Amino acid sequence: MYHAIVFFPLVGAIIAGLFGRIIGHKRSEQLTSGLLVASAILSCVAFIDVAMNNNPATVNLLSWIHSGTLNIDWVLRIDTLTAVMLVVVNGVSSLVHIYSIGYMSHDPGRSRFFAYLSLFTFMMLMLVTADNFVQLFFGWEGVGLASYLLIGFWFKKPSANAAAMKAFVVNRVGDFGLILGMAAIYFTVGSLQFDEVFAAAGALSEGKFDFLGLTLPTLTTICLLLFMGAMGKSAQFMLHTWLPDAMEGPTPVSALIHAATMVTAGVFLVARCSPLFELSPTASAVVICVGAITAFFAATVGLVQNDIKRVIAYSTCSQLGYMFVALGVGAYQVAMFHLFTHAFFKALLFLGAGSVIHAMQDEQDMRKMGGLRQLVPTTWFMMLIGTLALTGFPLTAGFFSKDAVIEAAYAAHAGPHMFGFVLLVVAALFTSFYSWRLMFMTFYGQPRCSTETLNHVHESPPVMLVPLLVLALGALGAGLVFAGSFIGDGQAAFWGASIFTGPDNHVLHDLHNVPLWVKLSPLVMMMTGFIVAWVMYIRSPEWPAQIAAQHDLLYKFLLNKWYIDELYHLIFVRPVAWLARLFWKGGDGYVIDGFGPNGIAANVLRVTQRFVGLQTGFVYHYAFVMLVGVAGFVSWFMLAGGH
Amino acid sequence: MFNDIGLILPELVLFLGAMGLLMLGAFSSKDATRTVDFGAIILLLVAAVLSLTQSQNGYATAFNGAFVVDGFAALMKALTFVATAIAILMSRDFMAREKLARFEFSVLLVLAATGMGMMISANDLIALYMGIELQSLALYVVAAINRDSLRSTESGLKYFVLGALSSGLLLYGASLIYGFSGSIEFAEIAKAFQPVDGQLPIAMTIGLVFLIAGLAFKISAVPFHMWTPDVYEGAPTAVTAFFAAAPKLAGMAIFLRVMLTAFPDAIIAWQQIIIFVSFASMLLGAFAAIGQQNIKRLMAYSSIGHMGFALVGFAAGTQDGVSGVILYMTLYAIMTLGTFACILSMRREGGMVERIDNLAGLSQTRPFMAACLAIMMFSLAGIPPMAGFFGKLFVFRAAIDAGLYGLSILGVLSSVVGAYYYLRIVKIMYIDAPSEDDYQPMPRELSIMAGVMAGFALLFFVYPAPLIELSNGAAAALLNGAGTDVVTGLLSRP
Amino acid sequence: MQDLLSNYYPILIFMALAAVITLALMVVPLFAAPHNPDSEKNAPYECGFEAFDDARMKFDVKFYLVAILFIIFDLEVAFLFPWAVAFGEVGLFGFWSMMFFLGVLTIGFAYEWRKGALDWD
Repeated sequence: MYHAIVFFPLVGAIIAGLFGRIIGHKRSEQLTSGLLVASAILSCVAFIDVAMNNNPATVNLLSWIHSGTLNIDWVLRIDTLTAVMLVVVNGVSSLVHIYSIGYMSHDPGRSRFFAYLSLFTFMMLMLVTADNFVQLFFGWEGVGLASYLLIGFWFKKPSANAAAMKAFVVNRVGDFGLILGMAAIYFTVGSLQFDEVFAAAGALSEGKFDFLGLTLPTLTTICLLLFMGAMGKSAQFMLHTWLPDAMEGPTPVSALIHAATMVTAGVFLVARCSPLFELSPTASAVVICVGAITAFFAATVGLVQNDIKRVIAYSTCSQLGYMFVALGVGAYQVAMFHLFTHAFFKALLFLGAGSVIHAMQDEQDMRKMGGLRQLVPTTWFMMLIGTLALTGFPLTAGFFSKDAVIEAAYAAHAGPHMFGFVLLVVAALFTSFYSWRLMFMTFYGQPRCSTETLNHVHESPPVMLVPLLVLALGALGAGLVFAGSFIGDGQAAFWGASIFTGPDNHVLHDLHNVPLWVKLSPLVMMMTGFIVAWVMYIRSPEWPAQIAAQHDLLYKFLLNKWYIDELYHLIFVRPVAWLARLFWKGGDGYVIDGFGPNGIAANVLRVTQRFVGLQTGFVYHYAFVMLVGVAGFVSWFMLAGGH
Repeated sequence: MFNDIGLILPELVLFLGAMGLLMLGAFSSKDATRTVDFGAIILLLVAAVLSLTQSQNGYATAFNGAFVVDGFAALMKALTFVATAIAILMSRDFMAREKLARFEFSVLLVLAATGMGMMISANDLIALYMGIELQSLALYVVAAINRDSLRSTESGLKYFVLGALSSGLLLYGASLIYGFSGSIEFAEIAKAFQPVDGQLPIAMTIGLVFLIAGLAFKISAVPFHMWTPDVYEGAPTAVTAFFAAAPKLAGMAIFLRVMLTAFPDAIIAWQQIIIFVSFASMLLGAFAAIGQQNIKRLMAYSSIGHMGFALVGFAAGTQDGVSGVILYMTLYAIMTLGTFACILSMRREGGMVERIDNLAGLSQTRPFMAACLAIMMFSLAGIPPMAGFFGKLFVFRAAIDAGLYGLSILGVLSSVVGAYYYLRIVKIMYIDAPSEDDYQPMPRELSIMAGVMAGFALLFFVYPAPLIELSNGAAAALLNGAGTDVVTGLLSRP
Repeated sequence: MQDLLSNYYPILIFMALAAVITLALMVVPLFAAPHNPDSEKNAPYECGFEAFDDARMKFDVKFYLVAILFIIFDLEVAFLFPWAVAFGEVGLFGFWSMMFFLGVLTIGFAYEWRKGALDWD
């Protein structure tokens, strides 16, 4: 069964990718989607078997590398953590496949698109089922590759190519950390097997090692390096810049990769490495700070964006920050729970946004929308559910998970948890505001688009609406159904050995006993955000412009995403370009071309001509060369005397 | 006696099969080429399976020690036979279109394979010479099989004359060694050829030099490589494809066996020669290939260079080194056959083209062929994670473990130079504008072959363990003499 | 070493004698024989007729083919002699080995026959 779960998507990807042209678009779509649905159903079975009945499994596939002391095999490790991810990945992926049949129906490269989607799913499954760091890294790079291909799917658009490249390059920075972390683990533990590394965690936490004259605590260094990888993949503050740009890809891709699955790989990595992070308070403190800052920062930027997909992208970024705060305070279960529910409502929002964009003939600017509620009622209703879940309306999925994150941040003891708590509460207000702003600008008020576009607005076909419906059910019910097992009383039995918590880590217990005002604060923030948004965009729509004009500086600051891209441009891109030009003109043009490669290249040609000149075509020359060779060897031994 | 027959069963099957096919071709009333081709492929595959099953016997000799069967022989023979079978399969379309389709071609290839099998299993000097000559005679003829082409006959003649010279050198060396050791058996020679006070007997060393010259000619290592570019270019492309793969595997196998079983204690002597030959081959392969315009000639220099890389592992003289050589040669044969599957598809309206410029813009006109060829080029250049990278990794690691730092560094440097001409082909295919006339579609068996080989080169890194373990087992079998059952050991692995 | 050389002593004498006699036969006529060349004596001579054309004429390739085929079967017979002499000692294995060898040659013969190598025209 586990083989089928993991390899069905690969089979689909191979067939659609290699033979897509032969079997046609329609068959490719049906095949990949069918395999994914089968895989998703099996994932649910696996989830019940592994998580509910507490029956983890490891499946040996192949031996991979056996070289010296390095032993690495292809192994599927299916424990509760993996099972949760399997459900998320395959569930969302299968829905996105089905949705894409409708969304991409006019694209000439459909079978390529489905092949990439399935390939991505396979890589993501390799990542979450990994039993060692190398296999995880294989999946990690694989999803990076698939993400690159999918962001740049419309490769004729220069902006899409630039975004794909940016995502790739920024992720490299994170990957660099991950590789260094893996190297450090191998260097200190001598193995990359999860079980062996985790077993050695206790010893590592006391270890120190010297690097460039500094004495560094081993475990904290490893954790921080791993977290750097997680930051890149999960678009945390400073390494987040690729995520909004990645919205250049087709919307189903945004829903699958940049909301529900790939970006959560970082969260998964930290949760998987809970035995390491649990023993390193310093690293956990860093995780809290980065997560909290991301949650706050992304939410502020989300307030003023006008592109419907970018708003949701920043929202994703912000919610990932929530998850990291939960990880940092030691509430790994809460983080995974939020990941689980977030996958539903964020995919729902993205696919809903896709449906809106589809209806508006590829218009993404919310300033040109408005009044769509009557025109696309089903989409409106789905988006409404998604928004309620995201803002944490009571009894929706977000209510359980997001509030649990905030309560955990309050209840924790270690590290800068209050810093995290405050920022998260403020971010909750912003979340509510930008979510409702999106709803109001898109679906309410007067239509602001041209009448021609308005006449063409149509509800999406059922093939796109059914996945929305399924996700909406998840967004409404996932919290209610699963809260007990994920973070409630059943959590210890549910997670089993897949997540490690230290003996004095009682966050999960304490978060149920926080003061009432803490429990109420997210709800209050949500209501406030809703009211402010209503006032500003329904009651008196002229206010936002006035406020923006009054606080011009702040508005510009937010609109330009805290000028981080510009900052990077200034401190990285420009100096590098300057250095590059210096090296190019001065170094390369003068020094290297004069003496280096070009000089060598010219000599290479000369040497080549010499060698080629040997080949005269005359047999006796050839025989002569052979005899000279023999004579040379013989005289060498005669003179050197055979030693 | 029956035991002896049992041990030579693969060769016997090939030989009797070749005779049968020859009669079938001669006496059938209509053109039997396709039937004979098919029969030859079946024969070779059967022989490959037979020789693999033989590794269960462990170490065994036949005919008073003249013929040896061990895990090493079993693996190398199986590889050689399969490579020959693939060469026949790939030649069919080409030979038919070039009006060269004769049933004798496959029969000759089967006979050459018989000779290669005999030489891989040779355990004394006479068996060695017989095997080499049986192989070479068949090769001389197939090089000139296009009798009406001046270039083909010229290449056959050159190959023959120089091959005869090299056989002469080999025989001279063998007679010197026999004269001074008093035996033709490898094991006995090893006992006689011991250093005294750190000095090897000079006459035997000279005999060794001549022997190495003869063997190095077969794997076209510098300075005994001169025939290679001319023969590769002149011979029909399908023949070149065969030349580049199977005889190189067999030649390297017997080279390893002679040096390591007949002269294990003379390593101080032959290691110096191998180091020089390896270094010179890598260098010449890298530099001379840059100036080539003809893709077959380029592949000739490429194969010279690759022999140099394989010899790096050989020079180490350790078990890791031998295992690296086996792995390298296997990967090399696969990559070469895949590349030639693409070269054999370079056919336009007016016939075959061979110039590298003709590949311009191939990615737009024939994307599948371009992709396969590009993967092959990346792999031949040794760019990770392609298969070719692992071959280089293992031989260089063995060399470094053996303390051959200089050779390793020079090897890596020349692989950098070599990467230039491989990548130039990729650049021409993907960046240059296509010319006006299109290639004809790839024949089915060639596209399957190219696809399979490219897939292998691309995905080797996913599961390299079996091949690595096979190489390790074969190397252990060669060096320890003891019966190491390579194949069943692998199959029964937990 | 001494033994070895003394074994080859008759051969050495034989070679010396051979050299002396040939040299003598070549050198003596230079002095002893009369030299009276005329135009008839210096003209090319071919079985009593005038030369038809250049002595280095092209032969039909078929001659070579026949010569090659001849050599193969000539060698076959050369192999048969020692085998026949030692027939009593080589036993059944020796007998079948030779039969196998002859069989292979016969196959070659059948092949060249079918291919028309034996037809003159």
